[in-house]
Amino acid sequence: MALRYCEIFMTQLPKRMDVQAASGDLRRRTLAHLPRPLDRLIYLASMRDYNTGIYYHDGLAARFSQEAACEALAGCHQEAFRQLLASSIEDLVGQLAAYRESSHLDPAGFVALWRGLEPYRIAVPAETDSLSVDFLLSNLKIALAILENHPPPHPTPEQGAWPRR
Amino acid sequence: MIELILFLSIGIGLLVLLFALARRPARQEGTAQALVEAKHALRTLQESLVAAELVERIFDQGDWKYVASAAAEATKDEFLRDRKKIAVAWTHRVKTQILSLKEYHFRHSRFYSQLNPATEFSLALSFAALLQQCRLLQLLLIIGGPYAAPALVGRTAAATARICAVSEKSLAFLNPATAGSFGDQSPEDGAAVL
Repeated sequence: MALRYCEIFMTQLPKRMDVQAASGDLRRRTLAHLPRPLDRLIYLASMRDYNTGIYYHDGLAARFSQEAACEALAGCHQEAFRQLLASSIEDLVGQLAAYRESSHLDPAGFVALWRGLEPYRIAVPAETDSLSVDFLLSNLKIALAILENHPPPHPTPEQGAWPRR
Repeated sequence: MIELILFLSIGIGLLVLLFALARRPARQEGTAQALVEAKHALRTLQESLVAAELVERIFDQGDWKYVASAAAEATKDEFLRDRKKIAVAWTHRVKTQILSLKEYHFRHSRFYSQLNPATEFSLALSFAALLQQCRLLQLLLIIGGPYAAPALVGRTAAATARICAVSEKSLAFLNPATAGSFGDQSPEDGAAVL
């Protein structure tokens, strides 16, 4: 579905083989360093131009093509969303705690900011079913409320939201 | 004189009937729009609404057990309120898409696929039963909350999946592979069968 955004501005459609190769490369080199779906969702959303919906990744585009890179990023973004949707609230609390740890921000400030600005709203892939979006946003809101009042004692091991360079 | 009145009455009656038929909203039998809507309803049901992962997650009681043990009272209330809203919305969406499929089956599908009368009758009963089930489920969720009828949720999802399977067969001619086979039937003089 989200792939349609890649097609709007592209002059030619990438070959399926190129997209698969680009997805494999992205998973191996970048996403493998982001074990949690929340981190992958935030990272992949940041690769998207919010005006056009097109995903950009210079390294991937140089190795394959801009079209293949865009479709690979969009596909992985959808996949991260589905994985996060499948996470229980308890798991979401753990993922949020680990993300907060990796951001090196003041814990209380992080939760207050996320509850106030709800930045995760813009991390949703385009053309996602509205019921799924409502469900995930509600779960994240509840998980943040729990994290604020009842932080888990040992968040999952520290892992940056951004891939190591 | 009586004959004249009789013929005049029949004539006026026929004119009224003709006028009524002409005023009836035009409903093209088997329009492309109906096909697109049916295909969209089928895809929405199969890919998101009755996808096992989403149904299991929405009605998963494990979430409530965790929230009940870890969250403050206000968060617990918010969770139950949100989950109930989503559960009711799920039932409503399933019902809407089922209605769309039913519309396609009873108005248009016979122009595209050859269903025998027994299958059509059985399908009509399945649609009616499923829609009643959706209405009952919606009512139970509104009254009793998101975890009021787990067995009925499972039955509704299973029945919807069965109806989707039947609908998929009757819409199979829209699939690219089938369309390709139509294309192969193009005559050699160049007139394409699209």
